[in-house]
Amino acid sequence: MGIRLYQEPQLENPILVASWPGIGNIGIIAVDTLRSILEAEEFGEIEPWEFFYPKKVLIRKGVLESLEFPSSRFYFKRVCGGDIIFFIGEEQPTEGGRVYAEGKKAYHMANLVLDVAEKFKCRRIYTSGAAVALIHHTAKPRVWAVPNGPGLVSEIKTYQNTVLMSAIEGRGGHGNITGLNGLLLGVAKKRGLEAICLMGEIPVYLQGLPLSYPRASKSVLEILSHSLQVEANLDTLDELDQKVQQRIEEFYQQIPLEVRGQLDRLKQVAYAQPAEPGPITEEEERKIVEDVENFFKKRGERG
Amino acid sequence: MNRESPITVYREPDLHESSLVLGWSEDAGDLGRKVTDYLNLKLKGQEFAEIEPGDFFPMGGVAIRDDIARFPESKFYACPDHGLVVLQTDSPLAEWHKFLNSVLDVAEHHCHVTELYVIGAMISFGAHTTPRQLLAVVNAAEMKEILSQYDLSRDMDYQTQPGERPTLNSFLLWLARERNIPGVSVWVPIPFYLAAIEDAQAHKKVLSFLNERLGLKIDFCDLDQEIRKQNEQLAQARSHFPQIDDYISRLESNLMLSKEENGELVKKIEDFLKEGG
Repeated sequence: MGIRLYQEPQLENPILVASWPGIGNIGIIAVDTLRSILEAEEFGEIEPWEFFYPKKVLIRKGVLESLEFPSSRFYFKRVCGGDIIFFIGEEQPTEGGRVYAEGKKAYHMANLVLDVAEKFKCRRIYTSGAAVALIHHTAKPRVWAVPNGPGLVSEIKTYQNTVLMSAIEGRGGHGNITGLNGLLLGVAKKRGLEAICLMGEIPVYLQGLPLSYPRASKSVLEILSHSLQVEANLDTLDELDQKVQQRIEEFYQQIPLEVRGQLDRLKQVAYAQPAEPGPITEEEERKIVEDVENFFKKRGERG
Repeated sequence: MNRESPITVYREPDLHESSLVLGWSEDAGDLGRKVTDYLNLKLKGQEFAEIEPGDFFPMGGVAIRDDIARFPESKFYACPDHGLVVLQTDSPLAEWHKFLNSVLDVAEHHCHVTELYVIGAMISFGAHTTPRQLLAVVNAAEMKEILSQYDLSRDMDYQTQPGERPTLNSFLLWLARERNIPGVSVWVPIPFYLAAIEDAQAHKKVLSFLNERLGLKIDFCDLDQEIRKQNEQLAQARSHFPQIDDYISRLESNLMLSKEENGELVKKIEDFLKEGG
């Protein structure tokens, strides 16, 4: 039980790009879009039995025909300058009703993914997820980048539209990455593999909605494609973004005027360095988050 | 068996070519617990093995039910004279694959099980007076053929809907098929207003099928009495409370009740039956 490889492609200096679903499905949409654009070929999977409950049953004329489990698949693509392995997990293995992967199952899955990375001598790992930020949905999301070693910092500083945690207002270089998108970084470090997590910003008031946020996926993909030296036509993401933005606007108009007024002020946010005074004070930031939380709490109480 | 196995076998049962009947302890209408208790009582089932709960249930304390602390249990009973194994178990909350394989390990290696019967309750929006039809889902065409002699609906088409997950019954049937053990999941409709209490009619419907299929020769006179008593209590509830009668009459006429009316009917019936009718 574990990894099943259908073939063992000969790959040169590959980079592994992995993602699982998370807030706004930002990472997985970015990674899966790139996999699709590059027409990467499936070559293996992690067997699901010990990680997941089945997701679908098909019964025809009273006979149980099939039982489907969430997939965890590997793909490869040969490209000039370095081949790519994609890993896409349809679900995160959870324990005890938690939303994101945690515990021994998550650790086991992270290790299985990295077993494949090491087998094919991957020189780097990228993961991708979401960064909940005090931004407006009309803004272009930045990408927060977290490396698993200091040697990668200088390279990250050359990425466009990307910030390290130390450059994020009020963070002081600290934070955490929940779930497997984060765990993989730690396990890679333990194995001496370099890894970077790229997180696209999602507005704080959208994090609880059952919506994907392709605008942030696009920001992530711009960095990823540059770093992997591949050309990616992002038109499909733009189309998806337009549709989602329409739905967000519909939702936005339902927010009470006084809360929306606070949120509208986020349009003025310019990314300030920690030492500089921003257009919104810390006190005002707290107020916005409080108002949004109260709004959702009231919505929840009303059912 | 390896050291990590959660299975404890107290003594090897004397079983050859047996059938396994599995009931979930917390099913609607108390179906699984009542049916397996009844089989054990009538057929003198002897406990011979259990699955340790540590891997499958959160061990963060105990649940209290009807004033009593409960602890998850998965116990196997042997009825050698009838070639029957009975498993009464709580539904695992984690490591489902390992749990269900443990069930099949006991069935295959200790009991030589050749047929599997998993029973389950379906919440129905019909009235308790509506005749019940058992529904069967099999994991092998040969099992469907065998069941053609019995009064079961055997041609269901179903696909998991978005936001839903397959049942443990389907998961178990699928794993049994991997081991070439033919099996059937037998479903009985339980009126929604009896789901949190007991539904003696549903218990008998399932037991009658098992009795016939497995040649158990059980006399159900005590269960018939229980059904009569419950029917009388429900009739009393209808005559005492016109609202209850109205709701059930509408269900009998295949009319749907509103969400609020459903809730009211559930509460009134439960209160009435708890007070002893």
